[in-house]
Amino acid sequence: MARAVSTRRKTLNTALAGTLGFLMFFPILWILILSFKTEEDAIRAPLEVLFNSGWTTESFATVQARSDYFKHFSNSVIISVGSTFLGLLIAIPAAWSMAFVPSKHTKNVLMWMLSTKMLPPVGVLVPIYLLFRDTGLLDSRLGLTLVLMLINLPIIIWMLYTYFKEIPGEILEAARMDGATLREEIIYVLTPMAIPGMASTVLLNIILAWNEAFWTINLTAANAAPLTAFIASYSSPEGLFYAKLSAASIMAIAPILIMGWFSQKQLVRGLTFGAVK
Amino acid sequence: MARSTANLQTYRRRYAAAFLSPMVVALLLIVAWPLLRSTWFSFTDASLADLDAARWVGLSNYFSTISLSRGRTAYVGLLVDPVWWSAVWNTAVFAVSSVAIQTVLGVAVALVLNARFPLRGLVRAAVLIPWAIPTIVSAKMWDWMLNDQLGIVNDLALRLGLLAEKVAWTSDVDTAMLAVILVDSWKNTPFVALLALAALQMIPGDIYEAAKIDGVHPVKVFFRITLPLIRIPLMVAVLFRMLDALRSFDLQYILTPANPNTKTMSVLARENLFEFDKFAYGSAQATLLFLIIVVFTALYLTIFRVRLVNKPE
Repeated sequence: MARAVSTRRKTLNTALAGTLGFLMFFPILWILILSFKTEEDAIRAPLEVLFNSGWTTESFATVQARSDYFKHFSNSVIISVGSTFLGLLIAIPAAWSMAFVPSKHTKNVLMWMLSTKMLPPVGVLVPIYLLFRDTGLLDSRLGLTLVLMLINLPIIIWMLYTYFKEIPGEILEAARMDGATLREEIIYVLTPMAIPGMASTVLLNIILAWNEAFWTINLTAANAAPLTAFIASYSSPEGLFYAKLSAASIMAIAPILIMGWFSQKQLVRGLTFGAVK
Repeated sequence: MARSTANLQTYRRRYAAAFLSPMVVALLLIVAWPLLRSTWFSFTDASLADLDAARWVGLSNYFSTISLSRGRTAYVGLLVDPVWWSAVWNTAVFAVSSVAIQTVLGVAVALVLNARFPLRGLVRAAVLIPWAIPTIVSAKMWDWMLNDQLGIVNDLALRLGLLAEKVAWTSDVDTAMLAVILVDSWKNTPFVALLALAALQMIPGDIYEAAKIDGVHPVKVFFRITLPLIRIPLMVAVLFRMLDALRSFDLQYILTPANPNTKTMSVLARENLFEFDKFAYGSAQATLLFLIIVVFTALYLTIFRVRLVNKPE
């Protein structure tokens, strides 16, 4: 009896989970379908789109040919990867400090970093915009890389700190006893042990930087615009462009989906600060 | 020996301080300095075209009085501006309702995902996807799906008899807020769900075993055992979502541009800063938005007694 109930609950849960997964994924699936249609087919009724129209890759080719998708794609890659690794250079030493040599200020520094979550970007936009205008960093990949590095730095440091805290200080101490210098201790002992945590941190930050829109819209124009800024301003001079917009959207999220698919475990760990294994 | 240990300690402390300094400089550069400068602009009559000509005007961007003829006085400034208060209201409605929906749905999703079932990894990935893609893309995507004439949402709703006629979800003043909340919930429920799932996985299984043996009803188990045990992580997730929602910009900017019923404080402030040439006024709005968020966070942390940072041992 109890067994029957639990089997029934299991079936119910599986059905619920399946429905849930489908509902959440459906919008992406729909855009994926539209991206393989012609403009004329993309605006037909959904059932007709599905069963009574042909498939084509024409929209993808058009997006690349007309708006140079690969330029925006490489901007996105350079800016998100660059800002993440630049951030690591500052974050690793800082997180080491707080995790292994805590002082009475550590808690305040952590709170201060967290408080950046309260800051509306619009509140700091103008001074940075003006600084960029005066130093020629507007619409440059370097400028955007720096800004995204700085705004994501608190998250990088915070995540590394929580991962470093899990590593027993005794191991580092043992390395010191064996005569390791501070540099060796951090590079050869701490870093290898923290690789899983760092991988999660890197992944999460690449995604955050890839998805960033406020700064990319406001600080770039044609030259350094990554995919988010490109999609935000995407339109077509003549008539319908929904198949093309779908194709452009799919191309903008494909790298994230592929990367996220292969690393979802690390991603979930990173997002939940290591709590979900 | 003792002396060299002490030396090592001093040496490490010195390095620890040195290692923190780039971070401190970075935070000063991206947070403190621009924030102070924005705040300063809000006390001036600065215009983006000529910042050097900015003069100190005190609080008049926020509030001032003008004497009219016949001894009457008029109140001007941000604090009596109906457009500003409407943006405050929009932001509050959006933040509270979308975060409430995401919290309830997020916990429900987490409960479903917490059980073992075939293809669990696949379902978890599918649920995670909306969170992982750029808001800009999801806003564009939904804009198209919610289109009044050609969108799939209207088409399906008509076929299923849920709607009597097609609705212009994003441009109709009555439904625009609903559309924004829907899209935001689609995107951010996964975030709450994953944090709630993390908390659920920390609960030891024998608590449930004990409840089962005692024959406690599942609903009661949820409210008396599960919910209290995930309360703190859930409160943190809610706070993080609230902070994002209060600062919300890209979704409204793309999905419902120029719609007065969904315009948030961030969208309004940016408009004034860059588009309307009311630079000092926009700075005042940005400053006030920051103050509102700080006060909200302080109240939230105090009322719900949530600790974000544990005391270092």
